[in-house]
Amino acid sequence: MAATLREKQATALKRMLNFNAPITKATSNEPQWKILVYDRFGQDIISPLLTVKELRDLGVTLHLNLHSDRDSIPDVPVIYFVMPTDDNVQRICRDFENQLYESYYLNFISAISRQRLEDLASASIQYNCVSQVSKIYDQYLNFISLEDDLFTLRHQDREAISYYALNRGDVKDTEMEVIMDVIVDSLFSVFVTLGVVPIIRSARGNAAEMVAEKLDKKLRENVRDARNSLFTADSSPGQFSFQRPLLVLLDRNLDLATMLHHTWTYQALAHDVLDLKQNRVEIEESSNVATPAGSPRPMKKKKSYDLSHSDKFWLIQKGSPFPTVAEAVQEELDAYRTQEDKVKSLKAAMGIEGAEDDSAISMLSDNTAKLTSAVNSLPELLEKKRLIDMHTNIATALLEQVKTRKLDIYFECEEKLMSKSVQDKTLMELISDPEAGTPDDKVRLFIIGLICGPHMSEAEIDQYCVALTEAGCDITPIQYVRRWKAYAKMTAAPSQYGGGGISSTGMFANLVSKGSQFVMEGVKNLVVKRHNLPTTRIVDALMDLKSYQDVEDYRYFDPKLLRADSSSVPRNKSPFQEAFVFVVGGGNYIEYQNLVDYAKSKSMTSPKKIWYGCSDLVNASQFLKQLARLGQEG
Amino acid sequence: MAVDVTNLFKATVKSVKSRNKAIGENAVNDKQNILSRSRQKGDFESKAKEVITNITQLRDFLLSHRKEYINSGSHLSSEASKMTDSERDQIDNDAQNIIRTCQESIGILRLDLSSHRVHPQVKEHRQIVIFLMNEYLKAVCKIYSEQKAIRVKRAVDRKNISKLKPETSNSPVNNVDLSSLIKKSTDEKGSGDTDKSSNAQKSIRPEFDHENSLLPEDEISPEESQMFEEENKALYDEMNSMSHEVKQIEGKVIEIAKLQEIFAEKVLEQEHEIDHIASTTVGTTENIIDANEEIREAIKKKAEFRVWILFFLVMCALSLLFLDWYNG
Repeated sequence: MAATLREKQATALKRMLNFNAPITKATSNEPQWKILVYDRFGQDIISPLLTVKELRDLGVTLHLNLHSDRDSIPDVPVIYFVMPTDDNVQRICRDFENQLYESYYLNFISAISRQRLEDLASASIQYNCVSQVSKIYDQYLNFISLEDDLFTLRHQDREAISYYALNRGDVKDTEMEVIMDVIVDSLFSVFVTLGVVPIIRSARGNAAEMVAEKLDKKLRENVRDARNSLFTADSSPGQFSFQRPLLVLLDRNLDLATMLHHTWTYQALAHDVLDLKQNRVEIEESSNVATPAGSPRPMKKKKSYDLSHSDKFWLIQKGSPFPTVAEAVQEELDAYRTQEDKVKSLKAAMGIEGAEDDSAISMLSDNTAKLTSAVNSLPELLEKKRLIDMHTNIATALLEQVKTRKLDIYFECEEKLMSKSVQDKTLMELISDPEAGTPDDKVRLFIIGLICGPHMSEAEIDQYCVALTEAGCDITPIQYVRRWKAYAKMTAAPSQYGGGGISSTGMFANLVSKGSQFVMEGVKNLVVKRHNLPTTRIVDALMDLKSYQDVEDYRYFDPKLLRADSSSVPRNKSPFQEAFVFVVGGGNYIEYQNLVDYAKSKSMTSPKKIWYGCSDLVNASQFLKQLARLGQEG
Repeated sequence: MAVDVTNLFKATVKSVKSRNKAIGENAVNDKQNILSRSRQKGDFESKAKEVITNITQLRDFLLSHRKEYINSGSHLSSEASKMTDSERDQIDNDAQNIIRTCQESIGILRLDLSSHRVHPQVKEHRQIVIFLMNEYLKAVCKIYSEQKAIRVKRAVDRKNISKLKPETSNSPVNNVDLSSLIKKSTDEKGSGDTDKSSNAQKSIRPEFDHENSLLPEDEISPEESQMFEEENKALYDEMNSMSHEVKQIEGKVIEIAKLQEIFAEKVLEQEHEIDHIASTTVGTTENIIDANEEIREAIKKKAEFRVWILFFLVMCALSLLFLDWYNG
């Protein structure tokens, strides 16, 4: 797969915006203006991929929500990018009735059903605009790609397919079916966009297995249907020389601890502390404003920052631990300052040297060249400054939170719990310490201890619960986790976190001595030894076909086989180079980062490419809320 | 990988129509609305499309003639260039006229926009349409100015070649031999080694003959040829250094012109801001003047109020005294 999933999705969107004609690279194309109308899902898909400026360059003058009040703008073609639900189709029919636009290009995010197509047809006949409906396309883009190798399914409507919806006690079969269909549809779109048919493996006995079965069936039907198959060889000619990728479907119940883990890498910290949504972060900045009363009053202002694909600093640093990020920001700032000084010195040189006539000409040649290069590089410099400011602000905000909540201590403690090494402080001390962290943090720590730590008797657990309630925590998630522990095979789980460790090196002396803005005194410099989370271990075992007791009885599906092979004996004997990991029920950046690190470490011996997807990205506090709701039921 | 279901839709439309006919719904609508189908394109749209077609025509014209425009012929004049200079100038003038008219029409459209009262969405849409048109015009202008710059540069180079000056990097291949020979002769300038220089001159001579085959070669005595050679050399060196400087200055002037353009652009951008700031300042001064007035009024009223209070107190005291006197 030469182009990444993200690029393919972006190309598909751009082609769609070019009235579904392939984009030619002429020197300057005649602009054709158009209006883009999307619904919530369309908005979530487009916003990480195309900025407003790029939309303008493609000729999109206005972008509007489907269900907002739209005025009639005749003589302009309109492109719809919506899901084919009943509401949306009815709204489109109303638009036909009101004759809002000149010509309509309808693009449905997933395939539209026959019934709704007929609805559209009858509406267009009724309002007499059949000729205006120029094209209708099924785009199969029903997923959100946030990074080159990270995709999720839903953002604005995630309640429907969250962990809570899947695991609550009173879920009906029909509802489950609906959720499964949604997930299968999205995974199907992912593979259609890539043009490959994967080999599917999943655990037994949970939601992931159901998804795997349905997906297998859907892919098989589509491959069989020679006329309309979406996987024909017109995608990329070299397709068959590549090996087929592996799709690993996992259920969230495999590993709850990772969801609640405190983290130390930049992107995951931003997600946990600052609630990174669709690659965007919102920070409250307080600035002092002098009021008429005379005393300065701090005024809070919300600023939102885009952490986009084009930001090189972000691409490099998003997986690094926090102190590295602080240093890197400092370095960038210094580099920027030297460049700025160079430009400023030009000004002085020009002013001084202009007086002498003799050397004027020789100086002039140098200086004009320098000036040209300086003027040309000015926009780049300004952009760089903006990025540095942004990262400085984000890092400062993160640092504040880390210091007030003592997140470094939590991280250290949890890592030790997960790797079963000796601890400095016991759980009890941390929980009763009123300064360390919010109640949520304490509950998270305790649950991780419950899952991965040494076995605790019921009495001890009750003792902890009392201490937690005194500290003001909500202990309903703990009820749920206890129940969950009883259901799942918990003997296997603790062994899955091993192999890691932590070494802390006390005060961060050299950062302080650098006189940087990030005064990290009191924050320990934690050097994280890499260890594999359960997800990574399973993927490793499946890709390299190692025999690992947990994955021995994973089901095997190959949609390209003629008959549905219910015996599910793995036929493929060679190790896989590419893998898609999909977690049903929610995922987060910690798992993603772990997989990325694993792929990088393996790239020396055997290059591997791993994509991570989940039904929605939840950070720990949101997941905790879901657990609380589940706990209250029981 | 998107699937085009337009055909499916059209088939569905047909089937629904036939179904409706079968059920007997009235198909009266068809006839009436076919006539009114000719939608009137709004003024704005048609004007905008006109401007765009103009710009596109200009662009196509520039691109189609680009090759001939740039090809100023090699130095040997063996290939006659397909365009004379006057034609090129005409192209330049025409292009500039068209660009100016397009800019004016875009300006007119912008004024129109503020005068018409339409829905805010329509207004925003039109503003962005005007913006896109401007960008397109800028891109086409860039093509034009690039072409022109290349042409000017080639002309300058050509002049240099025909005067047998040391070459810059953009010269055609043939002149490399010439330039290396000439460089050799300049190197030998200081040594005063006439042999080598005469050699160099002799080897240059065949090239000269090839170019300008009219140089009379016979009937020159050795002394005269020596003198001529010395004279040649001196003249040649003098011209060489002068034109070297001139060429450099030309290059710098072009660069400065480019810079000027960039600065002018920036300044124009800032003009708008400055206007805004100026009007705000005027408003502010007026506000401050009003505020001063108000303060003055307030002070006056305060003074008056005090007077009245004093008066009232004095009256009360007097009345008390009076009552006291009355009773006692």
